[in-house]
Amino acid sequence: MSIPKPTGPAGTYFESMGITPELCRQILQTALSNGGDDCELYFQHSASNSIQLTDGKVSQASTSLDLGMGVRVIQGDQVGYSYSEDLTPSALLNAARIASQIAQAGQSLTVQSPTVHSVPNYHPVQTGWDSVNMQTRVQLLRKWEQKAFAQHNSVKRVDVFLRDGASVIMIVRADGKMVEDWRPSTMGYIQCTVESNGKTESGSYNVAARGGLEYFSEERQVRLVTEAVNRALFQLEAVSPPAGEYPVVLAAGPSAILLHEAIGHGLEADFNRKNISIFSSKLNQQIANEHVTIVDDATIEGSRGALNIDDEGNETERTVLVENGVLRSYLHDSISARHFGVAPTGSGRRQSFRHTPIPRMRATIMENGPHTHDEIVASVKKGIYCAAFSNGQVNIGGGDFAFYVKQGYLIENGKLTQPIKDVNVIGNGPDSLSKMDMVGNDMRVDEGGWTCGKDGQGVPVSQGMPTVRVSSLTVGGMG
Amino acid sequence: MNNLEQTALEIQALALELGAEEAAVSISHSISTELTQRESVLEKTQQSNSLGVGIELLVDGKFSGHSASDVRLQSLKPFLQRAIDATRFLEPDPHRALPELQEMGFSDDNIEANDDSWDLQTPESRRELLNSVEASSQEASSHLDVRSITHHVWDSKVQSHVCASNGYSQGWQRTSFGMGGEITLVDNDRLPEAYDYRSARHLSDLPTVQELSTELVKRGESRIKSSGIASGKMPILLRNFAARKIIGTFLSPLQGTAIYEKRSCLLDKVGKQVAATNLTIVDNPLIPRASGSRPYTGDGFATKKQTIVENGVLNMHLLNLYNARRLNRPPTIGGASNVCVAPSELSPMDLIKELPQCIVIEGFLGGNANSITGDFSYGITGRYFEHGEFVQGVSEMNISGNILELLHSFESTANDVWMFSQYRTPSMLFNNVQCSGV
Repeated sequence: MSIPKPTGPAGTYFESMGITPELCRQILQTALSNGGDDCELYFQHSASNSIQLTDGKVSQASTSLDLGMGVRVIQGDQVGYSYSEDLTPSALLNAARIASQIAQAGQSLTVQSPTVHSVPNYHPVQTGWDSVNMQTRVQLLRKWEQKAFAQHNSVKRVDVFLRDGASVIMIVRADGKMVEDWRPSTMGYIQCTVESNGKTESGSYNVAARGGLEYFSEERQVRLVTEAVNRALFQLEAVSPPAGEYPVVLAAGPSAILLHEAIGHGLEADFNRKNISIFSSKLNQQIANEHVTIVDDATIEGSRGALNIDDEGNETERTVLVENGVLRSYLHDSISARHFGVAPTGSGRRQSFRHTPIPRMRATIMENGPHTHDEIVASVKKGIYCAAFSNGQVNIGGGDFAFYVKQGYLIENGKLTQPIKDVNVIGNGPDSLSKMDMVGNDMRVDEGGWTCGKDGQGVPVSQGMPTVRVSSLTVGGMG
Repeated sequence: MNNLEQTALEIQALALELGAEEAAVSISHSISTELTQRESVLEKTQQSNSLGVGIELLVDGKFSGHSASDVRLQSLKPFLQRAIDATRFLEPDPHRALPELQEMGFSDDNIEANDDSWDLQTPESRRELLNSVEASSQEASSHLDVRSITHHVWDSKVQSHVCASNGYSQGWQRTSFGMGGEITLVDNDRLPEAYDYRSARHLSDLPTVQELSTELVKRGESRIKSSGIASGKMPILLRNFAARKIIGTFLSPLQGTAIYEKRSCLLDKVGKQVAATNLTIVDNPLIPRASGSRPYTGDGFATKKQTIVENGVLNMHLLNLYNARRLNRPPTIGGASNVCVAPSELSPMDLIKELPQCIVIEGFLGGNANSITGDFSYGITGRYFEHGEFVQGVSEMNISGNILELLHSFESTANDVWMFSQYRTPSMLFNNVQCSGV
């Protein structure tokens, strides 16, 4: 099943489940009964569907339905949180009583009557998944499978996966602000196994967005299949690169995993509020080459990281993090914004009503610089070119980060030569920023289905960057 | 009959009434509490009382799986009806039928998964434990320039029940307790960090707060002035808590899906030598009080101890019922429970004291592995020793290689089995591993 975009006035979706403005006011009042500086209720109704083609058959499907409310009481930097999957008044009031225990007779906040605030729409959808029947979904999978087999005779196996989902969320705050939002999502994924000369390899590609059926344009479907097949074939030829320190050229688009790990997490303000990020106390300092400008933008239409409103009910925005190499802002939720005396950046996000919101990235982008792709590659005598990635990680305080390269090339005398694969590249965030000495003019937002993990919560994100040269990183190859 | 079983049976009956020919329902109820404290201030409390249901349907020989957090029949009825209608559009899968009831079961071993003292926990007792963890870590770190230490305690009780339309109906409950912390130190302009989390089924099986704090601070201290060393091949000692990464890398290509899809470097290796002759890996779901113990598998079979690798020889692929049927083979282990590697009588220091150089790996940073080739590449943190003497902390380094070659280079275990996760492994010494640094 899919949840269509609500057609009634904002705030009425959950009213049909008995969640009236008056009940919300009572829950807030109960939650603040021991005091507290702030409080919000987060209602969520989500559904997701997936179908899979494997062994030439569309024989697996799953659906998931989730409904509940989380209540958070804030006192200073302290948080009391509880949630309930039972939306009866008694269960919700009980959750509020549990959350209230964090506060200890602090200031008494007067709960205002809920008033609906409108939200923008950064993910317009033409054909919602609620109007797409099972036959259409099955046809899509079959088409992708056939195209993959037709593309190369080394393709021996194709697995295809299509997922869609949507959530309606409603946030009601003690100050009376009430917002409702609808969040669609979709992902297409193909994995191909190829065999040649006794060698077997596999490659995969996925595309994801906040979109409806129209997201899968003919052009995108072709790219989805072609990339998966090509990545599998690439693996047959690729080898592990030599180990050691090398100049690394990061290809435009998915290489932004470096931005995400090396810089983005360190700029999340909860780490800086606690003074445990390597970027703590570096606001307005030069932390990178002047060609480096980095933003975190929730307003990129249809992107997986697009967000109309954050999970605390704050407006989202395009936040400039690093401007011409100077650190300009952290990513704030309400707690950190209050702590630093600044406005929230709309970065308070949570995986679901079962989790507290914390500062998170949305779509992290490095803007264009002055160099061309070709002149960056030509500048490297011996190094590594990284083109496709699977995962990354960072240590916030030390600043050490890593990302795993699924596909790349050796660079020899300014040219891409031997294909390489399966290698972990490691570096230090501030050190790498200072070593980003060439920035390309070919910025591309990656279309992959990236999910960021932090404190046990996964949220969808996007990322993008132009081609970039880092003068030295540690490559975990062989020999 | 308890409430959970009653609810599961009602949902199963509803699925059959709406048109499913077979249905399996798993339902679980969990109550959990987590407290976080930093600088003597309670930073976060979170409590939850959560219910969820998973439903597997077979409709006209076609399979689908569903989950929901609202288990009320009036809510589930339209959800299940749509699910059943949609399932009819799929293609049949003959391998998805439920097993025969007589094949299914429940282990009679007492795995002692439930600690009655969970019922005695109070907000005050949790705070007391949290305060003692903090006091201990402050004392243990008093000689260091500490930027921050965050402390956690948590506990939970989970009750589960599974029923199937062939008449199978079983349930169990378990408790879990945990404590841990993250430390951030000051090292000039860097802020090295480390963590240590421990969990156990019984409260009394947790380590003392002093043991936790001492280890947490020791891990943090080893990060000070850490850096990469020169690239080369050398021995590595995986600390007991870090060994799961490498054991997990080995278990991944053993999974039934990887075998069936021929995406595994261990495809044709059953009965063959895949590791050094002194390495034996056992899956034992029946160890009393262990984190991974359980009375039945995901397929509803009674659990039993099984040896995955014996003296370096691979005994089995890890096949749940579905993958076993697809491969026309008997099922073995659907998912690992307690993965055990036998200890030796030597201490970790005994293992490295004679070695000219050795990296002791205490953590991993990023990295991944290719199940088809077995090639892996992981970022590491740890400590570098020469002849058993500590030389420096290690960071910004990778280890790379092939998992089968690595297991063949296995030298010995130590005597320090890690008791706080389902990977019950001692520290493990490997020889001649590619390490890349400066």
